[in-house]
Amino acid sequence: MTKLLKIEFKKILTYKVFWILFGLYFLFLSAGILLAEFIINHMVDSMNKHLPIPLPHINIYFFPDVWQNFAFFASIRYVLIFPAIVIIILITNEFTFKTIRQNIINGMSKAEFLLSKLQIILLISIIMMASLTIGAFIIGLSHSGTHEISFFVKGIPFMAGFFISLFSYLVYAFFFGFLFRNTGLTIALFTLYSLIIEPIIYFFLKSPLVIKNDISTYLPVNAVLRVAEYPALPVLKKVMGLELQSHVSISSMAIPLLYSGIMIAIVFWTMSRRDL
Amino acid sequence: METILSINGISKRYGKIQAVNELSIEVVKGQVFGILGPNGSGKTTTLSIILDLLKADQGSYAWFGGHPSKDSRKNIGSVIESPNFFPYLNAYQNLQIVADIKDMEYDDIDRVLTLTSLYDRKRSNFRTYSFGMKQRLAIASAMLGNPQVLILDEPTNGLDPQGIAQIRELILQVADQGITIILASHLLDEVQKICSHVAVLNKGKKLFSGKVSEVLAISDSFELAGNDMEKLQKILIEFPGFKSMNLSGQHMQVYFSTSINPEELNLLCFQNGVVLHHLSERKRSLEQHFLELLQDNQ
Repeated sequence: MTKLLKIEFKKILTYKVFWILFGLYFLFLSAGILLAEFIINHMVDSMNKHLPIPLPHINIYFFPDVWQNFAFFASIRYVLIFPAIVIIILITNEFTFKTIRQNIINGMSKAEFLLSKLQIILLISIIMMASLTIGAFIIGLSHSGTHEISFFVKGIPFMAGFFISLFSYLVYAFFFGFLFRNTGLTIALFTLYSLIIEPIIYFFLKSPLVIKNDISTYLPVNAVLRVAEYPALPVLKKVMGLELQSHVSISSMAIPLLYSGIMIAIVFWTMSRRDL
Repeated sequence: METILSINGISKRYGKIQAVNELSIEVVKGQVFGILGPNGSGKTTTLSIILDLLKADQGSYAWFGGHPSKDSRKNIGSVIESPNFFPYLNAYQNLQIVADIKDMEYDDIDRVLTLTSLYDRKRSNFRTYSFGMKQRLAIASAMLGNPQVLILDEPTNGLDPQGIAQIRELILQVADQGITIILASHLLDEVQKICSHVAVLNKGKKLFSGKVSEVLAISDSFELAGNDMEKLQKILIEFPGFKSMNLSGQHMQVYFSTSINPEELNLLCFQNGVVLHHLSERKRSLEQHFLELLQDNQ
């Protein structure tokens, strides 16, 4: 374990707000994923009342689709906002308590301070990816027949995709935290941007024809969501004739990483110049 | 003599306010160096610059004769303004973080907590501490690992008389161990009691610096009246250490820049043919003296 992570653990270990919010995130995420099939099929049932030919029930937990479906449900805006708020609180607390000043005075460099926060973001992303992978593997095993199990490796890159999405989104939160420094203000602005402002911009930018290389898909939060943009629902493909995503594309992962790189660079640059 | 800190022509401006103006200071090993000035004179800004919290607009500084770095800060224990700790961690956990940053073991934590009388409360969360305890924890944190230099910014601010006495005694103990101390204060009395050297700041400029005994020498004043006031005036003007005088009513107020023995003064007047029928010594308050120092330099 690095020295910086060790310090970061001390700051988190007995911090109740962190554990409560992180616990809620874990709870919502698990509940969402485990109830998803039930909810989807409930919707199918109500649609079937109006359809001449009823749609079959959907199974989302078998290999290899389970990987894509888990990645999709774990990177929904309303779920991702939880760990982002946790990161914002961890960063802005340092300004509220002025502990960032004390850390620098005691002999941390500003770069080390920033790295300590990036390391915790990286660690949280890895832990969440690992949890999701284990969860998807167990659920997949229990829902797949022998034929499907032989395909289980196929969708695994979606776990890497989820990792990129979560990591990048938390870096956005890191960027907002160091930019605004105030807990309430940062949470309000970040939530507002993620959940309201960007969807509105997206709505106006999006051309009426669904073109894949639409400019609106390059918006920062949208780029994060697009890594696993749709759930794997073969029925939808057949019935509605939609050309849905079947694998994680390198370009969809590159865009959020590019944004993250730029934001990290801006934070390092401004922190080396701004007064504390 | 080993130079611990040298500040060379540092300036810092906040908008229209010139917080620090071409300030130069040199602190030598073993000194207890006071930075004395009223609120807003640039003390905290100066300390923040030499601890890399603020960027100076101009000028430079060196710690231990070398380029300042995070490693030089590890040899410096500092209390700047308010005590800054995590409210939800206890004293011991907060000091563990400090020790981690400074690459130290935890075995010194109990010592500094005992020194600052916080040992019994080391498992209580910081947020439950009284203001005096918070201030003492900040000092404990600064003393962790016996740093070469201790920087204390208004260490007794807001403490009760007992707390003030305790902190001052602690600082003197540390100074006795040969640790260099830099102490910023707006209290002349504090600087005079604790420091060996001082720089007096006002509006970001250095007014004087030197040994406390020289810079802050208290000039005495006397109130006199005699049978021949005109003659008395002439005698006093020639008296060594004479500074100024003014006539108020029946009495003459005389200021000296050095310490004067009233017996000497009385004898001199008598030998020169003036018989005093009134002689009283006036000790000015230290604060009054400090205000005069500032006023003389405006």
